[in-house]
Amino acid sequence: MSAPVRSEETRPETPAAKAAHAAAEAAATKRGALAAVLAIVFPGLGHLFLGRKGRAALFAVVVLTAAALGAQLDGNLYTPVQGHPLTYLATLGCMGMGLPYFLLLYPLRYAGDITAAGYDYGTAFLLSAGLMNLLLVLDAWDIGSGRKE
Amino acid sequence: MSHFLLMVVYALLLSVFFAALWRRQRREQIVLFLQLFVGMVGGGLLVAWLMYPFPSGPPAPIP
Repeated sequence: MSAPVRSEETRPETPAAKAAHAAAEAAATKRGALAAVLAIVFPGLGHLFLGRKGRAALFAVVVLTAAALGAQLDGNLYTPVQGHPLTYLATLGCMGMGLPYFLLLYPLRYAGDITAAGYDYGTAFLLSAGLMNLLLVLDAWDIGSGRKE
Repeated sequence: MSHFLLMVVYALLLSVFFAALWRRQRREQIVLFLQLFVGMVGGGLLVAWLMYPFPSGPPAPIP
């Protein structure tokens, strides 16, 4: 009498195979985390680290163009304002663009101009730049850890 | 820059971004780009047309 055929899911793995699988998962998680950290530092850097050069360049151009247009239009680069809880959320959103946020804020001493004609548009561009880069962080994390192509 | 041009630039940047982020095949990217771009610009124009009979008053004083 022949032994029953086991499917791929029910076949017991050897300890060596389990260890190799765990090591591969740990390496993928580490790679994903590193890609996410690089992506939050500068737009497109996470994808560049993962070898997606074309997409990295495209994302960097889109996010930086949005940030530069927002600054050109004198939009509001959010910073926390006491007593206004929504400014904390908006600050987190703007900070999502990473290094450009801090470059605008500190060395360039950028401050929006509420009387400027393009203030509202500029604010939308600056906030969108940060939020887009936050999505890139998640995308880099997913690609690096093997959950996405 | 005019309001319309700024809206078009904004729609362009976001459409390119999401098409590259959400799709991998070139053809799918182009389709999504067009859907997003036309949706945003067309939607903006539609809202503007609907609001046309209700013009805003004088601008509020800046605090």
